[in-house]
Amino acid sequence: MGSLFRSETMCLAQLFLQSGTAYECLSALGEKGLVQFRDLNQNVSSFQRKFVGEVKRCEELERILVYLVQEINRADIPLPEGETSPPAPPLKQVLEMQEQLQKLEVELREVTKNKEKLRKNLLELIEYTHMLRVTKTFVKRNVEFEPTYEEFPSLENDSLLDYSCMQRLGAKLGFVSGLINQGKVEAFEKMLWRACKGYTIVSYAELDESLEDPETGEVIKWYVFLISFWGEQIGHKVKKICDCYHCHVYPYPNTAEERREIQEGLNTRIQDLYTVLHKTEDYLRQVLCKAAESVYSRVIQVKKMKAIYHMLNMCSFDVTNKCLIAEVWCPEADLQDLRRALEEGSRESGATIPSFMNIIPTKETPPTRIRTNKFTEGFQNIVDAYGVGSYREVNPALFTIITFPFLFAVMFGDFGHGFVMFLFALLLVLNENHPRLNQSQEIMRMFFNGRYILLLMGLFSVYTGLIYNDCFSKSVNLFGSRWNVSAMYSSSHTPTEHKKMVLWNDSVVRHNRVLQLDPSIPGVFRGPYPLGIDPIWNLATNRLTFLNSFKMKMSVILGIIHMTFGVILGIFNHLHFKKKFNIYLVSIPELLFMLCIFGYLIFMIFYKWLVFSAETSRVAPSILIEFINMFLFPASKTNGLYTGQEHVQRVLLVVTALSVPVLFLGKPLFLLWLHNGRSCFGVNRRGYTLVRKDSEEEVSLLGNQDVEEGNNQMEDGCREVTCEEFNFGEILMTQVIHSIEYCLGCISNTASYLRLWALSLAHAQLSDVLWAMLMRVGLRVDTTYGVLLLLPVIALFAVLTIFILLIMEGLSAFLHAIRLHWVEFQNKFYVGAGTKFVPFSFSLLSSRFSDDDSVA
Amino acid sequence: MLSALPSRGLENLQRPSLGSLGPASRLGIPHPAMTAHSFALPVIIFTTFWGLIGIAGPWFVPKGPNRGVIITMLVATAVCCYLFWLIAILAQLNPLFGPQLKNETIWYVRFLWE
Repeated sequence: MGSLFRSETMCLAQLFLQSGTAYECLSALGEKGLVQFRDLNQNVSSFQRKFVGEVKRCEELERILVYLVQEINRADIPLPEGETSPPAPPLKQVLEMQEQLQKLEVELREVTKNKEKLRKNLLELIEYTHMLRVTKTFVKRNVEFEPTYEEFPSLENDSLLDYSCMQRLGAKLGFVSGLINQGKVEAFEKMLWRACKGYTIVSYAELDESLEDPETGEVIKWYVFLISFWGEQIGHKVKKICDCYHCHVYPYPNTAEERREIQEGLNTRIQDLYTVLHKTEDYLRQVLCKAAESVYSRVIQVKKMKAIYHMLNMCSFDVTNKCLIAEVWCPEADLQDLRRALEEGSRESGATIPSFMNIIPTKETPPTRIRTNKFTEGFQNIVDAYGVGSYREVNPALFTIITFPFLFAVMFGDFGHGFVMFLFALLLVLNENHPRLNQSQEIMRMFFNGRYILLLMGLFSVYTGLIYNDCFSKSVNLFGSRWNVSAMYSSSHTPTEHKKMVLWNDSVVRHNRVLQLDPSIPGVFRGPYPLGIDPIWNLATNRLTFLNSFKMKMSVILGIIHMTFGVILGIFNHLHFKKKFNIYLVSIPELLFMLCIFGYLIFMIFYKWLVFSAETSRVAPSILIEFINMFLFPASKTNGLYTGQEHVQRVLLVVTALSVPVLFLGKPLFLLWLHNGRSCFGVNRRGYTLVRKDSEEEVSLLGNQDVEEGNNQMEDGCREVTCEEFNFGEILMTQVIHSIEYCLGCISNTASYLRLWALSLAHAQLSDVLWAMLMRVGLRVDTTYGVLLLLPVIALFAVLTIFILLIMEGLSAFLHAIRLHWVEFQNKFYVGAGTKFVPFSFSLLSSRFSDDDSVA
Repeated sequence: MLSALPSRGLENLQRPSLGSLGPASRLGIPHPAMTAHSFALPVIIFTTFWGLIGIAGPWFVPKGPNRGVIITMLVATAVCCYLFWLIAILAQLNPLFGPQLKNETIWYVRFLWE
């Protein structure tokens, strides 16, 4: 079998990295993704590790790059993402890169700041111009006057003035003008009225265009106001209120000439500012464009560097403090590649002493490594979602590749729906290199990752749809139906036969709404339809009676075979782990239990199919009743399926009854006998290498004991040997629980497989209902507008088919097929208590801009 | 050997025309041996088909890292699909009851299929 059958053998290797070459070696290892590093500094906090300074430097660079990317995105410059990812930068280049990036950041910040200042300035000047223009209209009716002029222009609200004020000739008329936010105008006016008691006159007008507020950056409407007041104190009050309401106050020109001068000055200044601003923006854009070319590769390089330093932090220094030691899990098949990668790294850094590795023996359980390609990865993920396999146990994913789509298809069985699903999956598979599919969102990504699973599911659904003879709920008559209606007519038979059989003629047919064909009449039934279910059943009203019987028996047969296969896979596990006693004391009783009861059920089903026919249908016993009677020993003897049935059943029951105690007690008692009878010690040899004992005693393969002698303390704390004492009570308890679970599980799991029947029935019925409610209604309208009506009906049919029957039913069948695999199949042999092998690989780092989670 | 029923016009309904096996066949009723044949032939065809895929196929898989996976897939497919087809045909081999049809359907089937 390929490497998918079992996980690979792993070994623990120690890498000796010379201090000059450590970085390059890790870079080479990261590119290849061969090994998984073990953390040797677990009790050191992350702030006290050796390379914490370098990590901080990487993070600083990352921060600068994030700022750069932000600015580039803000300026709407396209950011090209390269196809190949650049390698981690050599140490010499890192300093240079750091300086470059820092300089770039400082420059960018300065230019941006300047630009902001210029813009703010520009806005103020524009506001001033608007203000000047609008306030001109306030006083255009009146002649401009000197501030000391006693006469006042006639104003609308002159009732506020009282004549005593006009006597104050020396009072100066002051003006405050500016812009205020639209929302605050009313409150401003009220406040002025209350505070200044009518000694101010406010005129305001709305600006037509909305301007940008320099502080917040929003574009809002402004009102230009002009306040004229008398007296110093009122002036102070007005100014304070203006401050309060965040008005932009600008100096009001006294004469028309002043106004003109100011306006001209403003215009020139605005023009200048526009040019300067334009130039600044161009320069900024240039800088950003230049940075955008290399920012992607820089981001990747910094990420890789940071990952390398994180791994370096996991290594420990040796005694001389010159050499880094790393412990890695490496698959044995990759050891050559590992050596080569170390050589390559040493060569690149130009060190005189190369880095090397050697294998160390260990008792710890290595992580589980299963090599998958893009096709098998989906199925392995399904199995891993339940639990990663223990080290070197049989991997159910190999068989799941076919059984999962098959069980799905049994529940989904429709030729048309399966074909649509197959086409959709084919589309995904053929376009799998299209970049947009690789980077899509979550739901689309889930479908994309499962494209091969969908492909197989669609294919098998096409096949089971052919067998169920169900295509969008209609049957296809490919070979001609084997049920002959004409043979039921009396005209097809000789008169002598008329007396023996119930036959039809035209009036019988006309007067009875439903009539049933009788297969015992010769000629009515002409043999089984060669491929699947006969199409006449689709036209029959008692279709479900036949189909239910067929599908329930089919579900039970498939389920029992699936579960028996699971038990047989367990035998492979026992063989591999050299625990032959498990085969005799656990697997064989399990098989006997399962086959004597449920295997016999399958035998009865097939026997009844083959032996009983329409002639004997009156005496055909119900299988379920026979099965139950097998255990109940009823007093009244029923007909039975075959002669000698009682004796056979009794024998089977005896075998079953004998296998149960063997299952319960066999293994614990055997282990107890081993422990007491054989007093020599051995080590249970599993898939990893053995530990050499101090006494140089070669450890022999007794292969039967869980007992290990003593506590072998090694130099490192992390290679402690787990010592198991022989605990009879625990072993007995475990075995009893396992046996009870197995025996009861046999019954409940067999019944659980009936969901294959239930879901296929549900699918067929839903499909039928959709057809009857939609297409039949549409097809039966035979007036002229019927053709036009058919178009929306077909559209609705297609939409509902996709959403309800394909997506909803598909998800449902998918879920149930997964459950059947995870629970009913895998609990016969799968332990799933391992850890997954996660190599140090740069390909696992995200290579997109949007992900900014750091590599841990 | 009875193959797919030829489509006949309405006028031929009362005169089934098969040949050579004696009075029973004159009325369109097959000889019992015919039924067995019509079961044996599909069995042989499908058994050889899935047998080719499941037993002969693995010998032709090219050597490569995926050889084991492909062989397992072929064998599993053959076993599953053959078993499924076998169950379907065995369930219909000796039916204990026949389909119950509406009288309209009986008319339709009689005129169109036979």
